[in-house]
Amino acid sequence: MDAIVLQAKNISKHFPGVLANDHINFDLRKGEIHTLLGENGAGKTTLMNILDGIYYPDEGEIYLNGKRVDIRSPFEATKNGIGMIHQHFMLVDTLSVLENVVLGLESQGFYLDKKNISEKIAKISKKYNLDINPYAKIWQLSVGEQQRVEIIKTLFRGAKVLIMDEPTAVLTPQETDALFKILRRMIKEDKSIIFISHKLDEVMKISDRITVLRKGKLVGTVDKKEIKQKELAKMMVGREVLFRLDRNPMNRKGEILKIEDLETHNDKGIKILKGINFSIHGGEIFGLAGVSGNGQKELAEVIVGLRRAIAGKVYIKGEEVTNLCPKAITKEGTNYIPPDRLKVGLVPNLNTVENAILRRYDREPISRGIFLNYEEAAKYTRELIKQFNIMVPRENVPVKFLSGGNLQKLILAREIREEPALLIAVHPSRGLDVGATEFIRKKLLEERDQGVAILLISEDLEELLMISDRIGVIYEGEIEGIVDIDSADINEIGLMMAGVQKNPLDK
Amino acid sequence: MLKFEKRENIPLHLRILIPLISILLGVLIGGIAVMFSQVNPLTVYKAIFIGAFGSTYVFSETIVVAIPLLLISVGLILVFKMNYWNIGAYGQYIMGAIFSTYFALNSAETMSRSILLMMMCIAGMVGGALWALIPAALKAYWKVNEVITTLLLNYIALYILKFLMYGPWRNPRSFGFPLTKIFELNAQLPKLISHTRIHLGLIFGIVAAIIIWIIIKKTKFGYEIRVIGENEIAARYAGINIAKNIILAMVISGGLAGLAGMAQISGIIHMLQIEINPDYGYTAIIVAWLSGLNSLTAMIVSFFLGGLFAGASQIQMTMKVPIGIVGLIESSILFFLLGGAILTNYKLYYKGRKII
Repeated sequence: MDAIVLQAKNISKHFPGVLANDHINFDLRKGEIHTLLGENGAGKTTLMNILDGIYYPDEGEIYLNGKRVDIRSPFEATKNGIGMIHQHFMLVDTLSVLENVVLGLESQGFYLDKKNISEKIAKISKKYNLDINPYAKIWQLSVGEQQRVEIIKTLFRGAKVLIMDEPTAVLTPQETDALFKILRRMIKEDKSIIFISHKLDEVMKISDRITVLRKGKLVGTVDKKEIKQKELAKMMVGREVLFRLDRNPMNRKGEILKIEDLETHNDKGIKILKGINFSIHGGEIFGLAGVSGNGQKELAEVIVGLRRAIAGKVYIKGEEVTNLCPKAITKEGTNYIPPDRLKVGLVPNLNTVENAILRRYDREPISRGIFLNYEEAAKYTRELIKQFNIMVPRENVPVKFLSGGNLQKLILAREIREEPALLIAVHPSRGLDVGATEFIRKKLLEERDQGVAILLISEDLEELLMISDRIGVIYEGEIEGIVDIDSADINEIGLMMAGVQKNPLDK
Repeated sequence: MLKFEKRENIPLHLRILIPLISILLGVLIGGIAVMFSQVNPLTVYKAIFIGAFGSTYVFSETIVVAIPLLLISVGLILVFKMNYWNIGAYGQYIMGAIFSTYFALNSAETMSRSILLMMMCIAGMVGGALWALIPAALKAYWKVNEVITTLLLNYIALYILKFLMYGPWRNPRSFGFPLTKIFELNAQLPKLISHTRIHLGLIFGIVAAIIIWIIIKKTKFGYEIRVIGENEIAARYAGINIAKNIILAMVISGGLAGLAGMAQISGIIHMLQIEINPDYGYTAIIVAWLSGLNSLTAMIVSFFLGGLFAGASQIQMTMKVPIGIVGLIESSILFFLLGGAILTNYKLYYKGRKII
């Protein structure tokens, strides 16, 4: 058995109103991938933040190679050879890859030796197959590429223990495979990896050992070879989980959304949509598949009015809404679940009530003349909380203290309650645990059965196959093809996502 | 070694203790500076305290200083909530004074006192609001950075004032000094308490503070402002008209600064001149900040800073300390107050142990 590199003993951590970690024990062996599994709010990220020195435990000890260490900051964690790759990347958008890599390094003098550094980066890139241009600015990179920058950053600092907080949540299947190859390569080079996830199939694929947390408590540590996926799921949620969703036959209604030759620019001013055409009917879920960065995000933004179309038209229920303001488009019956919950969908420092009323604060009864009726607002919020089973410590706590699943439920609740004709959901279950994911998908299906037209943009192919009625594939700003779910073939879709094959039936 | 962690809520004892300790530290540092000029710091502080609160008269002078600070700061609180950094209260204050002076000089004979004063109030607010409208529109429609535009407009306002004072509005009988003639009684804000200089502006300030509090906490406009201030992308997503809110909030903020300018010349100075204390426009930024962007708290903070300034100007007159020392005491106290404000919002850890 390999030596234990890192050990956490009896770790406890309190936050206002929650015990995030309750006497947790965890150890990591040299050259293994040890997965930390648990639902949102189980305390995985808290535990890892403690190992990385972001939080300091209220109780407990950490041992590194058998020696007790006191990690008080990420800087000290780095010095001890621990590097963490966060779910939300810690990169400066306007700086280059190289500048981000050296940011905060102690050894740098006044003058930045770019040539030397870029050579060092190139060496690391080559060793682990992390292909990246060191001079590209962060904002120009796709999510997958940004993650690679984070990995390079930690390796550059000499990390021996890598903590990866839900790294696959933002990746396509292909990117995930590539990441796994990189991870396997790293453990061969004697690195040890803590992998945080709640995607069971991935966990089964990549882990050597698995530690399960639930509600801040340790459920157990198991060897991958000795456990089945189903048992793992039960450990994680404490009950059996549905893997397939039952759904009613589609009851297709009239056309709700129609998009004609739509073109738009991305943030860099480059044309990212190059003539998109498709339409969605009431009562159907149209899944849009594609590798991240092919124009999905921009497409959603154009439809809801957050981005200007440079050509083409958008119709909702036959009315042209191209380039109208977001409010007018919402009035036409369009609601939107954005990909980034805290950046777009919610106001982190405002409380649950103030976030819940974002769509209807200027309508009666919450609006009362120029005033807000806070009693009505609170009443409405309690309704949402009850109806969607949202866990909120207190209504007046800023929503940034809620877990990802509850944030998403809050957004979903708020948007669905507007009774939209068209619902656009972008990565609705990204980063959510099994329970919340299932809940979100079921709700989308319910809406579909109610006759809502749903545009589901997701990088999770399984999710698309599970609930869509038709799947379109976007590649480099064009629809490569559209397939019916009954005749959908995952390999064919995968090829279209890579731009290899066009669907002859559609064109 | 030192670590800060944001507080979820601020305990009451800290809200009181931290400012008190900050003031003590500021007093201590200021005291050391005073010792360098061969004066006993205790006598100086005693003199400041007596100069601020020691008699009915000086107490009233404290309130006189607090009036413009309060009026301006509550307006700033509104726009600061929106993350809009109006540094231009200085210029908006001057424009308010100029606009209202127009009526004081030209309509004193034709209007009754109440009508004239009302016209001057409106003119003052319009002047400040127009001056604030320029950077607001630049920001709302062309995304021009407001810190730069509001700051630069201060100088333009100052030179417009100078132009008027050396040019068309100079009183021919002022022996060449840049002053207008003294306002008729009609154009003077009534005193609230006789034998003091406390004027009706105090009521304006208190009413403004309450209205701003209601706007922020209770109205849809205030809600939109908070959403914009906390997350502009979410505001766009929710369909909030950001341009409209910037302009409306700035018009109110500038209008209050303009009203402060009007109140100062109509209630205290009784004429327009070059020195009309527009620096209140900068000090009010500190008031807004120290009050944690709460307009009711701003009443207390304005009063305290008013006392500091009134007391300090007293010792300048009565004791023989250099003017610079007075400024030094003021600024060391302000400096510690602002620094201490960090501790009200954040927990402090040293080597993992919570200190405060």
